[in-house]
Amino acid sequence: MREFLLGKLNMQALPHEWFTIGGTLAFLTLALVAVIVITKLHRWKWLWNEWFTSVDPKKIGIMYFLVAGFMLLRGGLDAIMIWLQQALSSGSSHGYLSSDHFQQIFTAHGNIMVFFVAMAFIFGLINYIVPLQIGARDLASPFLNTLGFWLFVAGVIMVNMFFLFGGQYAATGWLAVAPLSGIQFSPGVGVDYWIWSLQISGVGTTLAAINFIMTILKMRAPGMTLRKLPLFTWGSLCSMVMAVTVFPLLTMTLFLMFFDRYFGAHFFTTTLGGNAMMYTNLIWMWGHPEVYILMLPSFGVFSEIVSTFSRKATASYFTNVAGMIGVSAFALSVWLHHFFTMGSSADVNAFFGLMTMIIAIPTSVLFFNWIATMYKGKIQFKTPMLWFLGFVGLFAVGGMAGVMLAIPPVDFQLHNSLFLVAHFHTMVVGGVLFGIFAGLSYWFPKIAGFRLNERIGKYAFWCWFIGFLMAFTPLYVLGLMGATRRLDHYGSSTGYQPFFIMAFIGGLVIMAGVVLQIVQILASVMQKRQLADTTGDPWDGRTLEWATASVPPSYNFTVIPEVSSRDAYLLMKQNGLPKSAYEDIHMPRNTAAGIYISAFAFLLGFGFVWHILLLIIVGLLGVIICVIRRTFNEDIEYTLKASEVEELEQERAKKARAKISDTAAGGTDEDMGLIEFIKTALKWVLDVIKNKRWRTW
Amino acid sequence: MVEHSSESHEEAANERVMFGFWVYLMTDLLMFAVLFAVYAVLHDNTVGGPTGRDLFSLPLALAETLILLTSSFTCGLAMIAARAGHKKQVLNWFGLTFILGLSFLGLELKEFTEFIHAGHTISTNAFFSSFFTLVGTHGLHITSGLLWMAITLIYVMKRGLTTHMVRKLTLLSLFWHFLDIVWIFIFTLVYLRAFV
Amino acid sequence: MSELKPKNHKNAHGTTLSYVIGFVLSLVFTINAYISVVNKSTTGTRLLATILVFAVLQLAVQVFFFLHLGRGPKPLYNVTFFFGTVSLILVVVLGSIFIMNNLHYNMAGTDVIKKLAQDEGIAQVDGKKTGACAAVGTNYKVTIQDGKISPTTTRAQLCDTLTFINEDSGAHKITFGQQQSYAGQEVSVNKSYPKTITLNQPGIYLFQDSVSPTTAGNFTVAP
Repeated sequence: MREFLLGKLNMQALPHEWFTIGGTLAFLTLALVAVIVITKLHRWKWLWNEWFTSVDPKKIGIMYFLVAGFMLLRGGLDAIMIWLQQALSSGSSHGYLSSDHFQQIFTAHGNIMVFFVAMAFIFGLINYIVPLQIGARDLASPFLNTLGFWLFVAGVIMVNMFFLFGGQYAATGWLAVAPLSGIQFSPGVGVDYWIWSLQISGVGTTLAAINFIMTILKMRAPGMTLRKLPLFTWGSLCSMVMAVTVFPLLTMTLFLMFFDRYFGAHFFTTTLGGNAMMYTNLIWMWGHPEVYILMLPSFGVFSEIVSTFSRKATASYFTNVAGMIGVSAFALSVWLHHFFTMGSSADVNAFFGLMTMIIAIPTSVLFFNWIATMYKGKIQFKTPMLWFLGFVGLFAVGGMAGVMLAIPPVDFQLHNSLFLVAHFHTMVVGGVLFGIFAGLSYWFPKIAGFRLNERIGKYAFWCWFIGFLMAFTPLYVLGLMGATRRLDHYGSSTGYQPFFIMAFIGGLVIMAGVVLQIVQILASVMQKRQLADTTGDPWDGRTLEWATASVPPSYNFTVIPEVSSRDAYLLMKQNGLPKSAYEDIHMPRNTAAGIYISAFAFLLGFGFVWHILLLIIVGLLGVIICVIRRTFNEDIEYTLKASEVEELEQERAKKARAKISDTAAGGTDEDMGLIEFIKTALKWVLDVIKNKRWRTW
Repeated sequence: MVEHSSESHEEAANERVMFGFWVYLMTDLLMFAVLFAVYAVLHDNTVGGPTGRDLFSLPLALAETLILLTSSFTCGLAMIAARAGHKKQVLNWFGLTFILGLSFLGLELKEFTEFIHAGHTISTNAFFSSFFTLVGTHGLHITSGLLWMAITLIYVMKRGLTTHMVRKLTLLSLFWHFLDIVWIFIFTLVYLRAFV
Repeated sequence: MSELKPKNHKNAHGTTLSYVIGFVLSLVFTINAYISVVNKSTTGTRLLATILVFAVLQLAVQVFFFLHLGRGPKPLYNVTFFFGTVSLILVVVLGSIFIMNNLHYNMAGTDVIKKLAQDEGIAQVDGKKTGACAAVGTNYKVTIQDGKISPTTTRAQLCDTLTFINEDSGAHKITFGQQQSYAGQEVSVNKSYPKTITLNQPGIYLFQDSVSPTTAGNFTVAP
């Protein structure tokens, strides 16, 4: 009976180490503060109706951003811990982390950054921007959208659940290679948490990818052929097609690993016929395309930004698209380069090495396109453009390192060294993350209604850029000197420690950059009136999303525009904007089905982690019943009559006029700098304390 | 501006759902691809134990194949009836499909229980792990399909053969045909191949 | 491309006739494949190819007659996705088989280092001999036909090579005494795919087919 109810849970599973207690307390405190604030402000119903159950891709996009931002801090904390440990641990000193703990930290760091930060930011951007760019009101399936988001949240909770129950995460590296991740060598629950957090959010990702593809292919505005698709949408399409093809591979491989651990199967074990190398083969069949899934939307973002801030159309639309498609196609043929050293023959290694090097070609096509776009353009060095330029420098260097690694004999020296770590961080930070930051600062006015503070934005960029160089150049050198990755201690005779210290300082500079980004947002909120975007088109953009107001109404467009060219909005501006017209709009209803299904999925996963039969049954039944109820629910839409739309639009116009006069009244001061921000913030804090303002909240 | 009639809106929505479901079926095919790859790599790893050649019954596999194929056929006939609006025929043909699907499952369970009673389980060796997982995953899909069928037919009885119901039945039939296609390859690459 | 005009869906869904044709064709292909295996009309790779062809034909039949692929409204995205998926399935399955085979060939066996050195012809590392042969001598051929080995005895010198040629249609898995491999090399010989081993260990060696031990022979390697 006890096993049925509690499985393997026991008192030992509760927090009893310094970091599990610390982590649990931190999360509980944050949750408590959130609950108190929401209760005091009487916002529970609002939160549920306006946000949690919303199917509006704009709201879901913002929720993705918020969770991703929070997980960026969580993963960043892991990074600081790694930097500090490696800076301290040399010779007789062994730092402050045990080896096992260190291994759990770099595993969690990798998982969180890839799955719960990068993918999440990208899904947020695609959710918000793609419907606007293609002239659609919503995604093809609003239900799948909310379901995908909440499954992702369930994954986020699962990956952090070990703080409260179990006390250990996987200590196997972010891909949990067999046989180390098998039940024999990792008997604890760490790897099970790893499996289920990735499995649940992976299903969410697959469903979201299907949704995005349906949307881009089937819901474009009349006249928008694929040849007229904006480049960010192209990048997203290529990325999501890859996602839909390779995430099933991950799902099944995770299931096989689960069967090994739970049912004693012998897929990847060391005995009774298992083949651990098959795991490596399968997981990298997913793993390599995954990094291109992350990268292609950023390529799309950069294409948009370069064009807008050079005030020129893309140099060659066709080759830009061809480059994106080329990268996607080749991405599916290179996976063996992750295990050149596992023992395949020279000819097999040579094939995959060549294919890997070939990917540099479509990538360079994209680069030359961007440079050609900038040539003879009127370049504006706004923050998004800075992120792009930072990307150009870093990605070129990281890419060249990648081509070096693609040569099998070179890889035999550099495989699993710090050179590899520096390479992929350059690509993911310099490529994916800079792209995300660029996109967020580019589209922030659309999303929030006011633009970001430029001055502090520039400081943040430089901290990130310089900090990154300081943190990872030493790692390139260390790799070439022979340093192996994932070690929590190195001998003092190696002479590595000064490099690690420099890397740690670089990490601190990056941390300063993150702080400045938060400050940038706060400062922008402070100067909201003055920074307000009153036209919906702050950068003189070219694509359809700028045709809507900032912030767009829930239905995006009153009437779906007819498109006749690329850079559709630019043409509209040149020919005179169409007159307002109104029509009946079919809108999807909000639904809590996504939340319920994800909650049951979480229970199912948690039940599998701890072998709790009750939760497994409840979870499975719950998911099935909720899915059935949702799919047979016919009342999922409502109609906004044209007259209602007209009323809403007139309301918005009134508010917009008020905003314009407000902005004018707010003066034409410059964006505030750091010193002014600190002064304003301190003044506010002192005011709150002196006048005991919390009593009125 | 163009007025979207509710009819074309409905049709456009139908098309989207069909396409989306098709893309989902492609992802399901890829999951099976992993299982086929794993079976291909591991099926020889019997660690000295019995192989497929020793254990499989080709007549049983043939029976399963013919039953599933027939159920795919009756499913197609059911869909013709559905699009013609003949509710009773729909229930009859899908009922037959359901019975055939259940028989398929019965035969498969018989084979599995025989193996397990003989001491061959998923944890015996890599061959059995990959066999039970590949064939078992297909069986789980069939079970889900039967559950889906039963519930949808109940709703058809209650709500009648509306356009929504016909759409749901169309998706179900796509799923059912696709499961038969996967089975062709299981029959060929697992059962027949063992005797080549 | 928006989809505002109502499309003619009749073609996309098929008639009773198309289902009957599909059903009958599928029956034909299934039963043919079954009979080919049960009656052993061919064997080996040819039989495998036969049943695979029947499977692919039935796939085509079902995709066209049951799933009506290619007859829906344009643009035919689902056809593109289908062919893309099929290509990727081939990459996943065939790629895995090829890679894992290659890894197995290189990595299976008791002394992987020795075997790799042997394959690459690396005779010494850091002044120490690896036991691999620096250069190969004469090549001796052993043919297996109708389950018989000829010549039954081969006399060779160290660093000569021995090639097993299989003239039978079924595969022969050669084991050496109690062991499956000679100096770390497994010898599983198929028709038209002879296997060569380098004789880098002196001694007298008996070998036989692991499935039918009457197929046997021996060779001596003089130092």
